[in-house]
Amino acid sequence: MPTPAAALPVTVISGYLGAGKTTLVNHLLRHPGGRRLMVLVNDFGELAIDADLIEAEAADMLTLANGCMCCSMGGDFTNALVAVLDMASRPDHLVIEASGVARPARIANIARAESDLVLDAVVTLVDAENFSRHLADDLIADSVTDQVAAADLLLVNKADLVSEEKLAALKRCLRKINATPPVMTCVSGAVPVDTVLGGGKSVRDRDCAPPDDHDHEHEVGYRRWSHESSGRFDRDKLKQALAAFPDAVLRVKGVVFVSDRAAPLAVHRVGRRISLADVPAFAAAGGTSRLVAIGHRSGFDAELLNRLVEGALVTRP
Amino acid sequence: MSATKIYAAHKIITMDADQPEATHVAVRDGRILAVGSLEEVSGWGDFPLDDRFADKVLMPGFVEGHCHLMAGGMWRFLYVGFHDRIDPEGKHWKGVGTIEAVLERMKQAEAELPAGEPLVAWGFDPIFLMDRRPDRHDFDKVSASRPIAVMHSNFHLMTVNSTVLEMANYTADLEVDGIARDCDGEPNGELQEVAAMFPVMRRLAIDFRALGRSPECLLAFGQVCKRAGVTTAADLINDLPDEDVADLQRVTAGDDYPIRLASMLNAMTQTAVETAERALALARQSTDKLILGGVKIVTDGSIQGFTARLRWPGYYNGAPNGIWNVAPEQLNDIVAELLHRGVPMHIHVNGDEAIQVAIDAVEAGLRKHAAPDHRTVLQHCQMADLAQFEKMKKLGLCANLFANHIFYFGDQHAALTIGPDRARRMDACRSALDLGVPMTIHSDAPVTPLGPLTTAWAAVNRLTASGKVLGEAERISVGQALHAITLGAAYTLHLDDKVGSIEVGKFADFTVLEADPFAVDAGEIRDIPLWGTVLGGHVHPI
Repeated sequence: MPTPAAALPVTVISGYLGAGKTTLVNHLLRHPGGRRLMVLVNDFGELAIDADLIEAEAADMLTLANGCMCCSMGGDFTNALVAVLDMASRPDHLVIEASGVARPARIANIARAESDLVLDAVVTLVDAENFSRHLADDLIADSVTDQVAAADLLLVNKADLVSEEKLAALKRCLRKINATPPVMTCVSGAVPVDTVLGGGKSVRDRDCAPPDDHDHEHEVGYRRWSHESSGRFDRDKLKQALAAFPDAVLRVKGVVFVSDRAAPLAVHRVGRRISLADVPAFAAAGGTSRLVAIGHRSGFDAELLNRLVEGALVTRP
Repeated sequence: MSATKIYAAHKIITMDADQPEATHVAVRDGRILAVGSLEEVSGWGDFPLDDRFADKVLMPGFVEGHCHLMAGGMWRFLYVGFHDRIDPEGKHWKGVGTIEAVLERMKQAEAELPAGEPLVAWGFDPIFLMDRRPDRHDFDKVSASRPIAVMHSNFHLMTVNSTVLEMANYTADLEVDGIARDCDGEPNGELQEVAAMFPVMRRLAIDFRALGRSPECLLAFGQVCKRAGVTTAADLINDLPDEDVADLQRVTAGDDYPIRLASMLNAMTQTAVETAERALALARQSTDKLILGGVKIVTDGSIQGFTARLRWPGYYNGAPNGIWNVAPEQLNDIVAELLHRGVPMHIHVNGDEAIQVAIDAVEAGLRKHAAPDHRTVLQHCQMADLAQFEKMKKLGLCANLFANHIFYFGDQHAALTIGPDRARRMDACRSALDLGVPMTIHSDAPVTPLGPLTTAWAAVNRLTASGKVLGEAERISVGQALHAITLGAAYTLHLDDKVGSIEVGKFADFTVLEADPFAVDAGEIRDIPLWGTVLGGHVHPI
């Protein structure tokens, strides 16, 4: 088995029945942001992909014109996963739509154990209208609790269907189950795709583009930040800086040069989880460290981010 | 029309209340023409008398209502289990009871294996090896260079050697649930659950699904069945894509293929409406030897894996409640649709909470649509109590109880999983029969070995592996147990009009025994030697 240079990032989309997982998958497939996504779904039943987007259709595989693919897992999830890893041309990012009662941590664990995969995030959708009812149902309370507890990012969906007070109460309730992850609210899963999907082999130019360039309705209420430097970072200080980013920051990624090694490191922060990992086969772009972030507009202090990051530089340009 | 033939037997146990015993059976065109005395069956004409069974006992061919095609394919790997098993070629594999014996068997197999091929073993059960739990160092002694993976009997764990850990890139700094460690923090070779096993399965190309798919595996499965006296077997979950259906039709059609195979469609990979459409289309592709159209739904996990859904007070050792494979409200939708469309359902339920959810789903479905004679089967149904059996009877549900569990896992259930009180009423065959719930018993092979006589023995005696009686009050009689493994199972498969008893008009499917189960001690039923089987008039000696 040839071992490719980079591990395939995996995002697990979890959430109870009706939380909007399929809607979010649809949204990701429509706006993949230049990524060639492979999405594993339980069945195509509810997946209403626009016909003009579909390039080829087989029994268990849809190929889209934008390079994305969607595969129905059939009876065996692990077989589907092996098939993806064995593909001659692997996708850029793998999205797994968990079943409504799946324990997402169990799926995420596969991405942790398999060295050809890397866990990007567990994103759990919460049904704003029905979550409290599910939590009160003894039969499924532990399933929905587990889904929230395993999340790196929480998406409260169908937010338009509840009052502000109810939404605030729901957020407090989610915080009690899992205090760590950022909570986003949305309608029909319409969030900036870069919040749900991190990963990727490198930071692309478009990630650093100002928010206006993205020009999507679902970017309203969000903002982006980027930082470039030709200096080198202290690894630990950078970690501390990233940890000190305000809660409004949902994701950070980048490629950075550090003081204790020549090759750069890939930086990922999703929610509160931070990783600094090797960048395999990286073509060093003139030694420039680049970081990008996306977050809620409210409470997003770009100057603070700049100060924190620059404080972690050991050699200045 | 094939020639008519009369078989003489020492005794024919018919499972027909109007004529429980006979000495002769006439067979024509693969079906039973007449059964009774020689004089009675000769009334149809003077046909040749075949007396090869003159000193044997004929029973209706055994029906295994819940097993998996993998039971044949598993034998591609080396068996290292604690209990005896018989492989498709008829080799009797003695159980291995010590670590040394396990390693010795593996060394022998290793020596015969071509270079570069991984050594994969199955059936391993360290619980029975008492002294200590083997780790990678033990298997490094078998080979330090060849990849070695040993599947545990529950299929949820495996132990591998150092070579495999290296292939999977499992190092001390990799923190993943399920990669067990020694006291120095190094992976010790034991890998728990899918996530930790996945990289190994992938790199060694171990594919359980394939073990139930290829024509070779289907042939091996037929042989495993024949050697257990089984003439009809239900494969309890299959994705059944068109190409597999074609293979199944072709392989089972052979006159030398010794069983009728019922295969249940996985009802959890598409919408309920799609499942119903597919099941109805599959039913139309059935033949005399391949029965399609039923479906399988899995609700919870297993009791011994602590993944079954239990009601209060939950697991005896305090483990958290188990998992759902399908959400209760989703089950309601699936069940309602399939009841409405007349698709036979087999619902996997182990814990009493899952049983209740399934019962409630069927009740709700029946309030929406009439579903006459639906015979929905609760599979395993291990923790059902009297109130649940009562409800099952009223709603027309059947139970396929996992009697083998009493022997293979009964001690652990009493000590660890659900405690002695609830363990005593596990797989409550007596309660089911007393309340009139149509009932059968099963092996779930390869989880436990295929062998209806052993399963009957387990239900009759309720002895655990350590020799204790678990729930004496739930024992059933030999006659009831034999009914369960023939007509009882046929009923749950909607096949009681074709198989399950030796009656005029049914298929000439017999199990040929060397002794009369009613004449031996109840503790020795499982030891009765089998001569072979007859399927549709074709004789299959072992």
